[in-house]
Amino acid sequence: MMSREEILAVVRTAMMELFELEPAQITITARFNDDLEIDSIDSVDLMDHLARVFQRKVRPQDFRNVRTVQDLIDTIERMQGQ
Amino acid sequence: MGTRDQPLQDVGPHVDRQDFYWLRLPATGLCFLVFGIAALLVGLVVLPVVRLFGGRGQRRARAIVGAGLRWFVGFMRLVGVLRYCLRGFEKLGQPGQVIVANHPTLIDVAFLLGFVPNANCIVKSALFVHPVTRGAVIAAGYIPNAPADEMIHRAEQSLRDGQCLVIFPEGTRTVPGEAARLQRGAANVALRAASTLTPVFITCDPPTLSKNEPWYRIPARRAHFTIRVGENIELAAFRAASLPGASRSLNSRVAELFTEATKVRDSLA
Repeated sequence: MMSREEILAVVRTAMMELFELEPAQITITARFNDDLEIDSIDSVDLMDHLARVFQRKVRPQDFRNVRTVQDLIDTIERMQGQ
Repeated sequence: MGTRDQPLQDVGPHVDRQDFYWLRLPATGLCFLVFGIAALLVGLVVLPVVRLFGGRGQRRARAIVGAGLRWFVGFMRLVGVLRYCLRGFEKLGQPGQVIVANHPTLIDVAFLLGFVPNANCIVKSALFVHPVTRGAVIAAGYIPNAPADEMIHRAEQSLRDGQCLVIFPEGTRTVPGEAARLQRGAANVALRAASTLTPVFITCDPPTLSKNEPWYRIPARRAHFTIRVGENIELAAFRAASLPGASRSLNSRVAELFTEATKVRDSLA
């Protein structure tokens, strides 16, 4: 089990790699669409990337309500618990 | 009739009405009617009956839908509402191939699914609900364009299974003369799993059956469709970058090609 901080670190690295974002932009409250310009196609890329990193089979429907970095971390945390 | 010398741009009530206008008008209405009836027949009768007799699912359904669309294109030509020419279609239909086409008219898909054997297609999700089309699109196993994650994963899988996939990245029909913003899903899917990416350029001269145009607003002379297959787009160079960035670059490349192809048409006109 990873802690929330560890999950955030992994998510940050992934987002920097994929979207060329600055670490400072990826705050816990950042909204994908409005703040980070990550649209629905990008988020599929991100989810697939995270699924590889965490070696989990993700169910896309779990991620459909993810709007912020916070939501994403919550979802991954739940996923780990299963 | 000297139609070649006439200006192509329409519009207004004083357009010259040539080329059997008063026959083409009811013929156009007839085509809409025939399409509706034929699609219903295929979806509600032909495909279920074939399934009843053990027709092998999707492949068979696509063959039937393809034959239906080919027949419909032939019918439209026969009744005189259009002429068409296909160039380079022998390059289409390879396993894992993504075909991206621009989308000027309502009937573009009829040419591609009618003349590319066993092609899969990303289709507006509303057509899975519409009573006229739903039977056929479900039986043929086409891919709805929403939600995005399902569309991408199903498209990716179909390419890995060796299918050929037709996508209209403009998403919706374009307004003549306006540059379309391409949906990036097509580029994304191609980068994920396509063996080859082949652009197809569709021109319709004079423009007709475009967005927000009622069926009875037919062009001054019969429409001539040219469907031209372009050179494959080299994917390897794009694949060097990470997927979100790469799909943006590839998307711009496809947009450039579409714009170029349309310009050539305008300068010939």
